This record gives sequence, C-alpha cells and structure tokens, in this order.
Amino acid sequence: MNAAVDMKSVVKVFGNIRALDGLNFTVDTGEIFGLIGPNGAGKTTALRIISTLLLPTSGTVRIFDLDVFRQAAEVRKIISYLPEEAGPYPNLSGHEYLEFMARFTVKGRDEAHKTVNEAAEICGLGGRLKDKAKTYSKGMKRRLLVARALMTKPRLAVLDEPTSGLDVLHSYHVREIIKRYATEHGVTIVLSSHNMLEVEHLCQRVALLNKGKIVAEGKSQELKEKFGSTNLEEVFAKVVGFA
Amino acid sequence: MLKGFGTLLVKELKELIRDPKILLGFIVVPLIMFPVLGYVMNLSMQTAQESASKAVLLVVNHDSENNSTQFIAFLNLAVNATPITVSTVDEALLQMSNYSASGIVEIPTNFSQSVIARIPVTVKFYTVFSGSGLLEGISSSIVNQMVENYNRNLAPNILVPAQSTIVKGKIIEGIDPRVLSSLVISQAIALPITMLILLTYSMQIAATSVAMEKEEKTLETLLTLPMDRFAILAGKLSGSIIVAGIGALAYMFGFNYYMGSFTSAIPTGASADLVSLGLVPSLFGYLLLGVSLFVTLLSALALAVILSAFAQDVRSAQSLVSYVFPFVFVPSIALMYLDINVLPFWLKVVLYAIPFSQPIMASKAVTAGDYVTAGLGIVYVAAFTLVIMYAASRLFATEKILTVKLRFKGLRKRQTTPSE
Repeated sequence: MNAAVDMKSVVKVFGNIRALDGLNFTVDTGEIFGLIGPNGAGKTTALRIISTLLLPTSGTVRIFDLDVFRQAAEVRKIISYLPEEAGPYPNLSGHEYLEFMARFTVKGRDEAHKTVNEAAEICGLGGRLKDKAKTYSKGMKRRLLVARALMTKPRLAVLDEPTSGLDVLHSYHVREIIKRYATEHGVTIVLSSHNMLEVEHLCQRVALLNKGKIVAEGKSQELKEKFGSTNLEEVFAKVVGFA
Repeated sequence: MLKGFGTLLVKELKELIRDPKILLGFIVVPLIMFPVLGYVMNLSMQTAQESASKAVLLVVNHDSENNSTQFIAFLNLAVNATPITVSTVDEALLQMSNYSASGIVEIPTNFSQSVIARIPVTVKFYTVFSGSGLLEGISSSIVNQMVENYNRNLAPNILVPAQSTIVKGKIIEGIDPRVLSSLVISQAIALPITMLILLTYSMQIAATSVAMEKEEKTLETLLTLPMDRFAILAGKLSGSIIVAGIGALAYMFGFNYYMGSFTSAIPTGASADLVSLGLVPSLFGYLLLGVSLFVTLLSALALAVILSAFAQDVRSAQSLVSYVFPFVFVPSIALMYLDINVLPFWLKVVLYAIPFSQPIMASKAVTAGDYVTAGLGIVYVAAFTLVIMYAASRLFATEKILTVKLRFKGLRKRQTTPSE
C-alpha cells in the first residue's frame, strides 16, 4: 500500500532562514501521526507543504502517490487542512460556514446537507450553530473548525495544533473527535503540537522535530524505552541535549 | 500626577514613533502631501489672478459723452477694457475671439446724463462662463468690485449692473453668472469630495476584507480547497465591485438630485438648455461618468487587494492602503480649484497619470460635451486596472500570498518565514 505522506529530503528556505533542513518521514494510511517540537521547529512549515500552501525549496513530497508540486490540484481534492489558530468567518453563522465550506468539496445539495449535518454532530454545538461565529468562545470555534476539516471524510486531514489554547474539556472533546474519525472512517491524520503529552496519548507514531530536522521518530512507547524516559518531553530533552 | 503616567507615555511614544507605518502614514505623508497641495493651489491662484488681470472686456459704448470715457478708464485700472466700434452686443459677441475677450460691457446712451444727474443707470455686463473650476469667477468678481468702487466715488447705486452670461458663444439674458457659478462650484466640490470618500472608503473595505482572511487564517483554508485560486481573487473583487457599484449608482442618483437643486435656482423664464450650454452633463455624459467612476473604483479595489496581501493583519493593511490616499486627495482637492488646461505641461501629465483623477476630469469633460477625453480616461484606467489585476492574480497563484510582506527597513520587499 502506498504511504499517505512521503516526505524525502525536504528543505525549505525563507530568505536566510532554513525552516526545514532535509526532512524525511512517511505516514501510513489510516495512521494518526504527530509532529512535535518546540516553537520554530518547522512543524507548521512541514504541514503547509503537505497541504500545498508552500512549495519545498528542494526534496519531494507525495500524498497518496501524488506530487504536491505537480499535482497540487489533485492533492487538494483528497486533503483537508486546519491552520493553527484559524477562525471561521465572524459574520456567518456556524451553519452557514459549514455549508460554505461543504460546497467546495461535495457535489449536490443533498450530499452537502448530509455533510453539514455530519459536521453538526461532530462539533456538538447544537442550536448555537445558528448564531454568528463571532459570538462563539475559542473552544467552540475550534470544535467547529475541526468538524469542518473532518466532515468531508478526507483521505488525509492535516491539523496544525488542533487543541492549541483550549481548556481541558474542549481539548478532550477535540481529541475524541479526531480519534473517532480516524478509527471509524479510516481518515489518515497528520497533526502538530508542542504539547508532547497530548500527542503521546493521541498519536500512533510521532516525529520529534528540532531546528527543521527530525531528531527522533517512532511509537511513543518505543521512544520512551529507547531513551529510558517516562514521557516524550523527557525524550525530547535528552535528544536535543537538555537533559 | 498619576502614578506611572510618565512611564506609560514614554512607552506609548516609543511604540508609535518606531512603528514605520505610523511614521510614514501620519507624519511623512502629510509633510509631503500638503506642501505639494499648497504648491498646486498657489500655482492655480496665481494663474487665475493673472488671467483675470489680463482679462479683456469689450466695451460697446452707446454714449458719446465724457463720463462713459471716464468709466472705461476706471475699468482699465483692473482689467483691459477695450472699446470697439460696433452697434450691438451681438456684433461684439462675434468679435470676442479676435480679442480673446472674457466679457462685454454695454454702456447705454443715457449713461453720462444719468451719472451727472445722479439718476440710476443700468450697465449691462455679459461674462463668459466656461465652468472650468472654482477660481473661474475671479474675473466677474473683479468687475463687480469695480462697479461698487465707481459707485462709492459718485453716489450709492448710480450704476446698476445687469448681469448676463455668455456660455459657448450664446448669451443667456438675465442669468447672473453667480447663479451658474454656484452650480459649477457645487459640481467642482461635490464630485471630488464624493470621489474622495468613495475611493478611500471602498479601498479600506477591500483591504480589510483580504487582511481579515489572512488574520483569521481563512485564506489558508481557502487556498487548500479544490478550487481555482483566481476564483478567490475574482470572488473578493466581485463582492467589493458589487458594493462599490451600488455606491456608484447611489452617488449618480444623489449627484443628479443635488445638481437639480442648484439648476432649479435658475429662472425658468431664461429657458436655458443647460445641457447644450455645457453646464450639466447629458444623459450619455452621466453614463460615461458612471463608467469612469466604476473602473476607477475597480482599479482602487484591485490595488487595495494587492497592498493588503503584503500585510499580516487588518491594521497593517489599512496603514498600507493609506499610502495611496495622497494620490486620491491631491488630484481631488487640486481639481476643485484648477482649470487643468492652464497648468504647466508636466503637472498636466502628472494629474492625467494618476488614475484616481480621471472621474473628476471626466466630469468636467462630459459637462463640456468632450466625450473623447472622458472615453480615453476610461480606457487608461481600464488598462491600469488590468495590469494591477494581473499582478494580483499572480500573487494569489503562488505561495507569496502567504509569505510576502513589506519590510520598511530600506523599503525592501522580502520573503520571510511565515510560521515556525
């Protein structure tokens, strides 16, 4: 089976900043894969390249065997991207926002209606979906956006810091959504987080990113055993030489 | 003294003054814009005064006595009053172009007798009216002042000026040029002011709209959807165009009504066809003016979209767009006062080159029945708009829409890391 994501020797340079420095990793189909690392490690840049927003300076990136550069339009049909700290349109209601987004990926009114209903169920916002998005709390907005990213059952969902800035309950809700969707619908998920404990519980495999390079990769348990640590934070500290 | 006030004030000043957007937008731009505006105004005032002092008034003198000769000499203190040997005003009208005259004075046969007897006598003044700018009324004002001064030397209200207007070689009897002047002034002020408001307002709306998409990261989401990227730009522009189009239509209706309120002040007995006299635009003229306004709005919106692509948030986008405002303000305000035809060549070129001055010039052109100038202006702005839209579409087609931003250090455009 082809890998869902296959990144080979990816370099991304912005001016004199080398954001990614020879990044290599693969994500299997149906897997929840976590990119973790501190701020500035290159997580968002990597996810933006996977999502066809940025082009690699060098190296190759294939999504289900499609090249992100040459077949970007095809890649966009099978992925869904959730940017970090993104918001909905403040003057559209949650329902209108979901409807608007569904029209780009779903054909036919009935199918769009089903998709929006699916999203309504995922986010659990109930009657509040009729209200304008600007009246939502941060947690409600994030739940709406995660639902938007998953409602079309993309082959690959790219989620940048899906629980960033959320309280414990909202984070829990979002994590449950992600887990359920990956299991029930076979959606491959690549997500980033600087919360290593969260990723440890959510992802089947993780890659630790530092200064644009992967410094360790594998299952959480394997990494902890390999580095004799109790959690991924300790693993990361040991890998980068802090501990 | 409030505790901590001084520390906060110093911090605020540092924050504000060190922000290049504020420094440029609020300090440097006005420092350049207003002196430029002042220079243009000064130039236009000088031009108007010079042309007024050189104004030739043809004198049709039906009185052969001394007092009329003295009156002509008195007029010559301020203008170039030139007696000609014709018997009617209509004949004098035909001679006007030979003398480059801006008006005619008709002195009646009983002028001297009336002045000696201190009996009021009517002197007819016919003033050419071309409707070119706010300062056009200077020459007729000078004549009025001269009559007042003459009366002051004799007795009050001895000379009674009867004002008529010459428009495009035709005399409109009994219409005071001041009534027409107020019509032209209303035109000369209303359009530039409306343009100024419409352009600045709609540019801010378009820039805010794009910047909001960037700030809320909705643009990032849109760019990963299976859709043509040009559709994003086209959708954004179309939305702004529809709003701006409604604005332009509202303006045209409002402006028409506004003009109607001024033209209603003109006596109906005069039965002047204001359209054929070139004082208000024809229906076709209004249509051309509407098109000119629309393409200019479109160009401004496209420019605002491009500029806001360089900003990371709404505030920066609004600051960036405000740098274009001098190009809206200067021609708008300058053309209120200026007759563009009397300006030096280089200044004409500059004003014609600024796309945002086109609707104002189109307004003057269509009023004068010069549809070619208005049409050429529309073509020029449309070409400018196409170039800007092409640049915008290129920007949206690449990752630059997310990564590009304006660096003020050395004013270099740089790509920087947009994220971690």
